[in-house]
Amino acid sequence: MKFETIPNSRLLAGLGVCLVVVFYCALLVGPVDISIVEALIDWSRKESSIGSLILFDIRLPRALLALFIGATLGLAGAALQGLFRNPLAEPGIIGVSNGAALGAVLVFYFGYANLAWFALPFGGLAGALASVVIIFMLIGDSRSNVTLILAGVAINAIGGAMIALALNFAPNPYAIQEIVFWLLGSVSNRSINELMIALPFMLLGWVIILYCGRFLNALTLGEETASSMGFDVKRLRWFLVIGVAACVGAAVSVAGNIGFIGLVVPHLIRPFVGYEPRRLLLASTLGGAILLVVADIAVQLLSSGGELKLGVITSLVGGPFFLFLILKTRNTLL
Amino acid sequence: MNQQSYISILSALILMLAVVSPHLLAAGGAAVGPQRIVSIGLCTDQLLLMMAQRSQIASLTSSATSLQMSYMADAVGDIPLNNATVEEIIPYRPDLVVGSDFAARDTTRFLRQLGYEVKLAVLPTTIEEIYTLLTRFGEWTGNQARAASLIAKMKQEIVEIQARYANRPVKSMIIYSPNGYTIGANTLENDVLKYAGFRNLSAEMGIVGFRKISLEKVIEAKPDFLQLDNHIFNRDSLASSYLGHPVLDKIVDNKERLFIPSRLRACAGPMVTEAIDFMAKKR
Repeated sequence: MKFETIPNSRLLAGLGVCLVVVFYCALLVGPVDISIVEALIDWSRKESSIGSLILFDIRLPRALLALFIGATLGLAGAALQGLFRNPLAEPGIIGVSNGAALGAVLVFYFGYANLAWFALPFGGLAGALASVVIIFMLIGDSRSNVTLILAGVAINAIGGAMIALALNFAPNPYAIQEIVFWLLGSVSNRSINELMIALPFMLLGWVIILYCGRFLNALTLGEETASSMGFDVKRLRWFLVIGVAACVGAAVSVAGNIGFIGLVVPHLIRPFVGYEPRRLLLASTLGGAILLVVADIAVQLLSSGGELKLGVITSLVGGPFFLFLILKTRNTLL
Repeated sequence: MNQQSYISILSALILMLAVVSPHLLAAGGAAVGPQRIVSIGLCTDQLLLMMAQRSQIASLTSSATSLQMSYMADAVGDIPLNNATVEEIIPYRPDLVVGSDFAARDTTRFLRQLGYEVKLAVLPTTIEEIYTLLTRFGEWTGNQARAASLIAKMKQEIVEIQARYANRPVKSMIIYSPNGYTIGANTLENDVLKYAGFRNLSAEMGIVGFRKISLEKVIEAKPDFLQLDNHIFNRDSLASSYLGHPVLDKIVDNKERLFIPSRLRACAGPMVTEAIDFMAKKR
């Protein structure tokens, strides 16, 4: 299969239109039949009708959360693949998401989330940051897939066990059942509050990552070349790490660990952007948003009431894709 | 089989006899009802405290002293507490073990295998079934007269409460619990709502028992009142965050949100009349 590189503006516009369409569809899905138009009219008249309450207090926060978290995971996946120069890097696979979930769990279940609005996403950020730093320490200068994946397996295992441990000791008796949320992720029954506390950190992370776009381009030629082109490799690498930690940490802290979006999306989009990491960033952001909004629609259609977790859908799609990537790259990259 | 295994089986039998026989002997000589009753459930803890002589009670569960969950917490005093494990129960040499039929199945099965008398209270789903439960519990523990007077008192209190609030209109209600669960038909809670003068919209939607309800359905139903089940006092969980969703503030006012104290509704018993009064008052 051969792909033509599409001009940036046309690619982004196409993805943008797609996103608007799926986002509108997400607002239509729910157990109660409501008319979007009537709900909008009621809302503009400041009448709190059943339709406007369902649209603005339930469906809109949920769809927006799916949109921003999907965007974050798509962008973070593209950034990590550029940073590690490794096509298998992804927040879930290398353990950043579980690290973030652990940080969020420690803040949420032990009463620290009530201290300040930013405590919860900050916990996620700290956990994510710690796990990226450990990954860097584990893999050193290795570019090998095996090293990265094994480091990810280890961090994921430790992170998952520590989440279970923390939930076991949490004072709330419901806590231990909620491990499913943290390991598989969901945006169901979240309100505008969760969106508002996560959004600033997500946007901060996006800005930092997008700022590093040119550096990621240079990095494809190797660290020495990037240095010789005038990039402060060490500093910018830290920038990227903090950017990823901020947005992934915030996303995971309100929606749990939703896997594989960051792996699948950059791979689907890469051929269209001429394998240029900087162009991949914005397109992956839109692609991730589309994919997660679609996944959340699927979750709702497949299980009305009984909550299927988002990670089930994304892993069912992403898991086989991951295997395919390993098969495809094992001769060239191992 | 060789000699060694014969010996080990024999010694196991002797050990079992040693454990069981004191109980068998005691059962024969019981005078009026059992004299060493052990409760292994919160609800039977409370029934014992209400009904039995203190000298009959050998042990209650550790939840019996919880001021939040137990209506009879103040009455526990120095009665020894257990955690419903077989190891803790056997030393009391109980002549009757009581518990709820839905809890501690392993413990009750094991105790029965060892030859102990275990009686399990069936969870009532109506006020009528509470009367049946009280009567049966009176028979089990040899306190029939006390049971009859508790039932008479309940019936009288219900009549008084219903007379007191008879002129108030019937209001609609949805019970919304952590994790988005609601309580529909065929439940004691449903019957309590009816006695307190409320229509249970969850039951009218066709929900039976304890089931998940989508928040959208709650909004669509437009209940006059919401009963938010906050029997967990620690709010730091996703389950409890269901009760803090901002849209709930928009569908009912603060005064239309009921939080029934858990000690009134955690178990079925004479305390339900207080729960009925608590709710009818807000109607």
